[in-house]
Amino acid sequence: MVTKSKLKMALAADKGVDYKKLHLKKKEKIARKGKAKKHGGEVEPTNGKKVEEEWEDVEEESNDEGVELDEEESGSEEEVDGPMKIDFAGIDESDSDSSAGENDQNNEESDDEDEEDIPMSDLEDLDEEEKEDIIPHQRLTINNTVALTAALKRIALPISKLPFSEHQSVTTSEPVSIPDVSDDLNRELAFYAQSLSAVQEARKSLKAEGVPFTRPTDYFAEMVKADEHMAKIKAKLIDEAASKKASAEARKQRELKKFGKQVQVAKIQERDKERKQTMEKIKVLKRKRQGADTETTNEADMFDVAVDDEIKDSKASRKDRQGPNKRQKKDEKFGFGGKKRFKKSGDAMSSGDLRGFSSKKMKGGAKQRPGKARRAGKR
Amino acid sequence: MASVYKSLSKTNGHEKEGPANGVKKNKQRVLILSSRGITYRHRHLLNDIASLLPHSRKDAKLDTKSKLYQLNELAELYNCNNVFFFEARKGKDLYLWMSKAPNGPTVKMHMQNLHTMEELHFTGNCLKGSRPILSFDASFDKEPHLRVIKELFLHIFGVPKGARKAKPFIDHVMGFTLADGKIWIRNYQINETEPSKAATSDPAKAAPKEKGKGGKGRETEVSLVEIGPRFVLTPIVIQEGSFGGPIIYENKEFVSPNQVRSEIRLKKAGRYNARAEQGIERLAKKGELGLRTSGGGKMKRDELDTAELFA
Repeated sequence: MVTKSKLKMALAADKGVDYKKLHLKKKEKIARKGKAKKHGGEVEPTNGKKVEEEWEDVEEESNDEGVELDEEESGSEEEVDGPMKIDFAGIDESDSDSSAGENDQNNEESDDEDEEDIPMSDLEDLDEEEKEDIIPHQRLTINNTVALTAALKRIALPISKLPFSEHQSVTTSEPVSIPDVSDDLNRELAFYAQSLSAVQEARKSLKAEGVPFTRPTDYFAEMVKADEHMAKIKAKLIDEAASKKASAEARKQRELKKFGKQVQVAKIQERDKERKQTMEKIKVLKRKRQGADTETTNEADMFDVAVDDEIKDSKASRKDRQGPNKRQKKDEKFGFGGKKRFKKSGDAMSSGDLRGFSSKKMKGGAKQRPGKARRAGKR
Repeated sequence: MASVYKSLSKTNGHEKEGPANGVKKNKQRVLILSSRGITYRHRHLLNDIASLLPHSRKDAKLDTKSKLYQLNELAELYNCNNVFFFEARKGKDLYLWMSKAPNGPTVKMHMQNLHTMEELHFTGNCLKGSRPILSFDASFDKEPHLRVIKELFLHIFGVPKGARKAKPFIDHVMGFTLADGKIWIRNYQINETEPSKAATSDPAKAAPKEKGKGGKGRETEVSLVEIGPRFVLTPIVIQEGSFGGPIIYENKEFVSPNQVRSEIRLKKAGRYNARAEQGIERLAKKGELGLRTSGGGKMKRDELDTAELFA
């Protein structure tokens, strides 16, 4: 019924526009409208006919205007344009059973989610404590599964058909589960394990395909991190190790110091104890002697050697004691003895020393410094 | 007329492409660029990524943030079919756009916890432009939007086989893991070590025959050393077209950093408000008890008040 130029017809065919169907649809619509109006009453049948005529006119006009209008309409009404539409149809047919099932599930899921979501207006009535637990969702959930799968189909590489060396991607068989994301160590360990397993798998299949994997030791090329960067990292590592060592040393020293103090205290206590003991012994001796005073004629007794004897076995004399000789050490360090006066003044030895003299210098044999102009010229 | 011709020729081309798709080769080129207003860390990260991807083309910063569709033309100009675009907002937030250039889809993600190679001080290193092994978490296959994202990662981070500047050996692996609704990305060096001689001295005596067979009798040990960079991505939106078209996925759990900041600010303001309210309440209470000189009710006079007694 519609006669048009070949180009336009071709375009229409491409768009999948069926003029007959369109026309039929429109007629149906009009008929329905007419019926509705009749049911509403008060509208004369002639009026309905008029409407119909008008509609037809409009239709004719739109058809004459060409396909551009149609194109716009379809663009605005649907999300996808011509070629896309074809894609969709194919895809939907290809996995209609699976996608349909998924769709239904997804819709249900999104409905559930919507029920769980709490609008912001309700939130204000809640207590502060309750508010903390709830994550308010203002946004609408958009998860257009069909469009997503279509987009994926459009761009996806046929991984199953390609040789492994073409894509080099490995997907784990089990999803990696990380119970606590803020637990740094375990999280990183999980990442590491995932990558390691992937490497092992990839290495096997690459070797099977005969792709060079390991870099030979004599292959040098530009690296991601330049040498300066690596040097920096190395310096940092060394620095870290050194500081660690230093801190360990310092801690050790501190502990030693603490221990040294304990030793000193113990020594002082011991000394006090010894002193007390000697005093006691002397007292005991005195008491012994009081009875038989005049009878003793022994010289040793006269000079109270008994006391010495008594004490000797308990305490070593001062000279025998070994230990740090403070004075000697200090003398070694700072010097001691001899006169300090005239140390720097000349004497027979120093004036006899002729090492510093040279006859050349005395005669002015040394080369004279060239003049300024000559020096400048040389440069 | 031109538009008519174009649409016709396009459809013809489409039909021709159909059968050729069967033996599609993995041919990718990535346009890497950023918007204006990125910080130095963002820039360093961009450079790190560019150095890892030999099939990339780095371009100058894009001037606009609203007309991102210009990127399509730019990609066409450089013969790129992928776009990797950093969008910085407010000099602190970084958004990553990944797109298949002419027809989409586009993924927009929020980037957090980014650490560049330089600041991480990892000892790992790899050849510049060697092809990585991509390791994906199985949870990427669970949902359609994640599958789209995975495919984009595969195209952008996977170096195609014949890339011009690619090196022939494989010495690093990139890990993409899904945890807590975010995508965590790591980069490791593959470190192959021959098993130490002390450990193998005994079997070496026992297995000279094996050596004769293939020389691969001993398994080399594989370990990984991290190279960097590190970052975490939160998917926000997927668009059907390339920097345009309808939104086909939106992550409702994503909270924008602006909202987070404003909430923190509001919380702080709330503290002041509560204190101010307390002050007013206290004044009112005092007024009721008649302890204020002006305003409020008067104090009740007791019978035993001194003023009553000695009036």
